[in-house]
Amino acid sequence: MFDKILDWLTLRPLRMKRLRKRFLKCLESEAAEEFLEMLLKFMSLAFLLDRDFRRNIEGFNGRYLFKSRDNSITVAVIFEDGRMKVHEKVLEDTNVTVVFRNGKALMGYLLSPKPDILGSLLRQDVTFNGNLNYVYKFAYMAKRLQLMATGEV
Amino acid sequence: MSKITLKDIRLSEYTLDNLGLLRRLRENLMKTRPEVCIERARHTTRYLRDLSSDGEPMETRYAKAVAYFLSKKEPLFFDDNLLAGTTTSKPFGAPVYQELTGMTIWPELDTISTREKNPLILSREDAEELNFDIFPYWMERNILEYTRKKYNNPGCMRLFERIVFFLASKAGTISHTVPCYRKVLERGIEGIIEEASTREDEVRKKGTDTPEDRHSLEFYQAVQTVMKGVLDYAANLSRKAAELAERESDPSRRENLLKMSEVCARVPAKPARTFREAVNSLWICQVAVHAENINMAISPGRLDQVLYRYYRNDMDNGMLTVREAIELIGCLWLKLNDNTNLVPETSEELFGGAGTVPAVTVGGVGEDGEDAVNDLTYIMLRVTELLKLRDPSVNARYHYEKNTEEYRDRVAEVIVNTKAVPAFHNDVVDIKVLENQGTSTEHARDYAVIGCVELASAGRSYDASSSIIFNLVSALELAMYNGKRPATGDEQIGPQTGDPAGFSTFEEFWEAFKAQLTWLIGEAIKLNEYFGRVHQEILPTPLLSAFFEGPLDKGRDLIRGGAVYNSSGATHIGFADTVDSLSAIEKAVFIDRRCTFAELLKALRDDFRGHEKLHAYLVYKTPKYGTDDPIAVKNSQNLIRFLYDFYQGHTNYRGGKYRPGYWTMTNHAGQGKLSGALPNGRKAHKVFASGITPASQAAGDLSACLKAVGGLESVCIPSGEALNLKYPSVKHNGDIKTFAQAVESYFRYGGLHVQFNIMSYETLIDAKKNPEKYPELLVRVSGYSAYFKDLNEAMKDEIITRTAYDLDTGRAVPFPEEYRSMLAFE
Repeated sequence: MFDKILDWLTLRPLRMKRLRKRFLKCLESEAAEEFLEMLLKFMSLAFLLDRDFRRNIEGFNGRYLFKSRDNSITVAVIFEDGRMKVHEKVLEDTNVTVVFRNGKALMGYLLSPKPDILGSLLRQDVTFNGNLNYVYKFAYMAKRLQLMATGEV
Repeated sequence: MSKITLKDIRLSEYTLDNLGLLRRLRENLMKTRPEVCIERARHTTRYLRDLSSDGEPMETRYAKAVAYFLSKKEPLFFDDNLLAGTTTSKPFGAPVYQELTGMTIWPELDTISTREKNPLILSREDAEELNFDIFPYWMERNILEYTRKKYNNPGCMRLFERIVFFLASKAGTISHTVPCYRKVLERGIEGIIEEASTREDEVRKKGTDTPEDRHSLEFYQAVQTVMKGVLDYAANLSRKAAELAERESDPSRRENLLKMSEVCARVPAKPARTFREAVNSLWICQVAVHAENINMAISPGRLDQVLYRYYRNDMDNGMLTVREAIELIGCLWLKLNDNTNLVPETSEELFGGAGTVPAVTVGGVGEDGEDAVNDLTYIMLRVTELLKLRDPSVNARYHYEKNTEEYRDRVAEVIVNTKAVPAFHNDVVDIKVLENQGTSTEHARDYAVIGCVELASAGRSYDASSSIIFNLVSALELAMYNGKRPATGDEQIGPQTGDPAGFSTFEEFWEAFKAQLTWLIGEAIKLNEYFGRVHQEILPTPLLSAFFEGPLDKGRDLIRGGAVYNSSGATHIGFADTVDSLSAIEKAVFIDRRCTFAELLKALRDDFRGHEKLHAYLVYKTPKYGTDDPIAVKNSQNLIRFLYDFYQGHTNYRGGKYRPGYWTMTNHAGQGKLSGALPNGRKAHKVFASGITPASQAAGDLSACLKAVGGLESVCIPSGEALNLKYPSVKHNGDIKTFAQAVESYFRYGGLHVQFNIMSYETLIDAKKNPEKYPELLVRVSGYSAYFKDLNEAMKDEIITRTAYDLDTGRAVPFPEEYRSMLAFE
């Protein structure tokens, strides 16, 4: 009941609808520069609004650092106490650091239905330092979000 | 005295038309889609997380986890197979080994059922259980991450994760070995439990309490615990079969279920008395091994020898007919196909198409050095010929001084009729190779093939033969680019061995190459040692250990060096391309002075665009491995010898030597796709040649090719080699004889192994274009069999472009002009 009142007060469902649209548009765009930002915003809100999706972070503690190779983007993502927090800063003691060439490369790694693995490896589009299982978990959540956005689940 | 009592060794009266059971089971298998099976992951996780304590010694704790799973494992009977027991809870299942590489499919849980390449069905409920319940527990506990943490994310691990230098299989497996099932058949699991119990008492009576004593006690207890799990599973099978029989209205099915119930009530608990009991006992043990260890190349070994006394006894007593023996062996072959690997899409893309490669070995000589071919050998060959299955990977040993020509020609005929299997192994040389590794003569004579082509004294030697999969081209490129590789950009990877443009002799380049090799192999060995020690710490293997000679005597788990013989295998990718590139550098830069090293590197960076003349010279005028050119012969032999000496200078965590081999599975296709242009004229991102096979289209004369490969120092190849040959067709009896004689010539030159695809360029090109026309086309890859349709595109191209030889002329058949762009140098 409290959640519903809060949703109504903060217009979360409306924001979710808008974000979903922007997220899908981003997935279709050629450059996908905003991909990480869109993904994290959409993911954040989905955790608040979708109980099933929220189960993914219940009891999960994880510290991620996403960095573009040219250092123009540095985003820390912390999962703690069933919440997801995003900060634009460098984070120490991460479980994993993900370095990506650009938004499109990261999107290709996480979401593409048929990833260009060969090209991605050759270009070193996305590299990791740390525990790969945290990457796998995040990739699962991102993929699930994409399927939710496209109505496939 | 001849052991052959069959009137017709070809057993031609038995066909799938009159072996209805095998025909039906095969048809079912072919149309069954693989499914992910989480049963093992569920039970082992539940036990380790909820029912045991972190404080308990891992040897006993892990044994209890496996025993818990075996006792909970559902007894299932999916079809009319005569053997009880299933590897997974699905008719065709891919088990999840979450402590190894199982978690790599996490990102794909929602899409694995529909992915383009080799999809695996996964139910929504099972996906959720993996996501919410199972995988979270293992995030810090699987082998890879435990090792990373323990050794502080070492450089060698980061090199491995770049994929393009070497692969370290220990991250994903204790595998690639041949257990001793003879022991179970003769003594039963109860006999093994009794022995472990007696040994435990002996250690206790000693009254000492050294760390080794404590480990021995834990190990003996673990063996007893885990063996009881196997007994529980067999008892459950027996009970369930009896229950199903009661409800079954079909009389023949009912009879089969009752028989299985009776068999499982007896074996593997007690010694097998009959052929059927022996075959089923062996199969249940194979299932049990996979409850503990990944389903990758756990090879049943010399089944025509292991099962022969039961066959002979039943036949002599009128309890078995040849038809029944064929049916039982056929059922075992089909059971060995009831599981597949769980592989993420990335691996499918780069390395996909492999089966689980349980190798069966037949023929050759016995421990007494005499002809060991028997009726069962021919029965197994006939079953292989009729069923034409991906697994088991059947290997025929041939001793040209002891085995008969009839046997040799029969193996050749089966290859021709299946177009791919079995592979041929040279007993004379293989035995010498093992003796040179310190294996006693009797034990060496009793070798079996592991997985692809590797040799092991069956049930005595733990060889972990795929520990390192090393890309030779990566070391070559590091030498060419002063410690960097095009695939990893401007990053300094290896030591700076100098800009080769400044080298004035080939020997200087050879030294730089050796320096890069030793550094990179050193890193691969370091990582394998780390993984090995972590396996010792958190993933012991008491069940597999109980099926070996040695661990119970020594009181030591297999992973701690319990086997009679120990080694770690390192196989090499890109052998022919590396040798040809070395020869091309020697000839082009230092002998003919056709170009400077700097010009050569410029041409390579440009992928030969704008350097067509130099490219043509490199392709057609430089020495090629697989010919009698003295430069090629020298470089191939030097490389083989150098690698052998280097590896043998290293002792592994179990006290055994490292052994080099040359077989590549599908890695030569994947690694080729990730590598730049090479001095031999191979263009960027084209596949490498497979195994120890000369580069496609490089060796035009079959006889010279066999002489060159056979001429390599075989004792320097203790982890086996895969020579892949292709004939467009072998038509009639005379051709089969010629075919078999060519194999024998190669063996007399000194070759260890050879395998064939009997198919033309045109057939394979058509199969790539129209996969629906060839759903069951079986091919040999590089040590194992695969269905052509399952292979990735690069691997298909590699098989298509392999040199095909005309058997009559011994000359290479010209590659179809319109498809020349598929060739590595085009």
